[in-house]
Amino acid sequence: MTTTQRRESRRAQHARGGRGARVTVRNTLIAYAFMLPFLALLVLYHTWPVLFGTYLAFTKYNIISPPEWVGLENFRTLAADSQFWSGLKNSLKYILVVPVIQILAIAVAMLVNRPLRGIGFFRTAYYVPVVTSFAVVGLIWTWMYQQDGPVNAVLGALGLHGGGSLLNNPLTALYAVMFVTLWKGIGYYMVLYLAGLQAIGRELEEAAVIDGATRWQVFLNVTLPGLRPTILVCSLLSTISAIKVFEEIYVMTQGGPAGSTYTALFYTYSRAFVDFQYGLAAAAGLLIAVISILFGLINFKLTRGGKADA
Amino acid sequence: MLKGAVSDQPSAVSKTAADLRARKRRKDRVANLAAYVVLGVIALIMLYPFYWTLITSLEPTGNIYEAKLLPSGVSLKNYVEVLTGTTVPFWRLILNSLIICTAGVTLTVTLAALAAYPLAKMRFPGRDLIFYSILVLMVLPNEAGLIVNYITTIKLGLLQQTNPVLDAVRQYAAVVLPGIASIVGLFLLRQAYLGVPIELIEAARIDGAKELTIWRRIMLPLALPTIVAFGILEFVAYWNSFLWARIMLPDKNLMPLSAGLLELSGTFSTNSRAVMAGAVITVLPILVIFAFGQRYFMKGIEGAVKG
Repeated sequence: MTTTQRRESRRAQHARGGRGARVTVRNTLIAYAFMLPFLALLVLYHTWPVLFGTYLAFTKYNIISPPEWVGLENFRTLAADSQFWSGLKNSLKYILVVPVIQILAIAVAMLVNRPLRGIGFFRTAYYVPVVTSFAVVGLIWTWMYQQDGPVNAVLGALGLHGGGSLLNNPLTALYAVMFVTLWKGIGYYMVLYLAGLQAIGRELEEAAVIDGATRWQVFLNVTLPGLRPTILVCSLLSTISAIKVFEEIYVMTQGGPAGSTYTALFYTYSRAFVDFQYGLAAAAGLLIAVISILFGLINFKLTRGGKADA
Repeated sequence: MLKGAVSDQPSAVSKTAADLRARKRRKDRVANLAAYVVLGVIALIMLYPFYWTLITSLEPTGNIYEAKLLPSGVSLKNYVEVLTGTTVPFWRLILNSLIICTAGVTLTVTLAALAAYPLAKMRFPGRDLIFYSILVLMVLPNEAGLIVNYITTIKLGLLQQTNPVLDAVRQYAAVVLPGIASIVGLFLLRQAYLGVPIELIEAARIDGAKELTIWRRIMLPLALPTIVAFGILEFVAYWNSFLWARIMLPDKNLMPLSAGLLELSGTFSTNSRAVMAGAVITVLPILVIFAFGQRYFMKGIEGAVKG
């Protein structure tokens, strides 16, 4: 076989077998060698937590002695624990932030999608909170919310409020934290919607305008349907992260005042890292996971339901 | 034809056309002005908290939490205090963050770039199985992650304390390791590799190049934009993470900046201005990276969601 012939036959082989080199033991070993470090860490820190965490949910475990199988006892404990229920209630209340953040993000995305001078500055500005650590964002807003701080100054000027920190009031604390989630998250969804808008392109919208559609009609009949896939992804992401809200609460209120910002994941955190009841904490984690899957499905159904209507 | 029509009734047509254009321009100008006002108000809401923190951190004294547009005085007193005057020196936290970010970003990008190569460009038994298992893993909720990873870290002996140097290495590893296998990164890079023409790789293979050489000489350079985007994304993530480090690290001296800042706000509650100075120092590198790498960064975000 000449070199050319060999080359030809290899080419033919590639053409038959699709992409990639010939399947040989050697090539397979090489492929796995490439993936080994990644897969090892993936199994250790992603697969194992799912499996072991599920197992732990049915045990009593404090790290020192081996896990002791207790069946459904952890779940019975949770069902009887009013603290868990109020945490869950607050987590579900937190979903309120989802429609607000999505609607505002779409509005802002449309606003920054205009071909205006200096629009890049605004896009960047709105994204700055997204790239900032919750540690910093939480602290900044704790200061902003202080009794004599800027937030109260603005509220006072609007004739709305003059009292203490919104974070110290059980009636307002959860909403004050929600506002920070909104403020930090809006730029993230804005970028995704902006990508969605640019995928739609201007041609369709312009065609609709030429056909005599009003702005609102264009939005309802062209823009919104075009954004539907993005809306599905974004509201899914945002619902799941609302149920699992933790970091802003950890930094700003630690679940207080009077448990008004105590969420389900905060319950899990306290059971594990304050009380060292890892089994109970894992059970709570498992429940939160199941609930967020359920809400994901509901969300999926709702967004698809919208599709059927249109 | 059009030319003829215009020349038939030159004044009437051109007048209405000019009128319409002028009216449209006026309307556009009003709309643009309104847009700028709204954009400006939102920008104010987004940026004022940062600006306020900056100017307050510069003030030596005065009514600390007051809303203001300019600092009542300027001094670096609070910065000096936060950098030197605490039990855990702030420069140490900066050093920790730099070490954690460097190790984290390098390892995360390298491992994802390596693992994505066979999945995109090689044929071997089990490829689809591995690919779809990883996909499933991305969707599977992992609420026990924090708990089990904590247990794993202890069982691996990473929190043992024997001698200062080893302790530091182990604790840095404990912070970095759980984040290294990035599924999103794997998908981003696989996507980038898929775009590399197969002829290029085949030619190299036929010429006898080893797979590692192909990876280094062909895949990496061609996937560079994605690698940079992913690297920036990861840098921001490592720099900003605090929860895991705070839960786990027994030694406050080894905490990264964000985690240490919270520690500081606990111990330093009498001097919020110094903590504000610390917050400014913590945000600054991210803003610089973000400003320079913004294009890549956005690409990474969009790719991460689409991929």
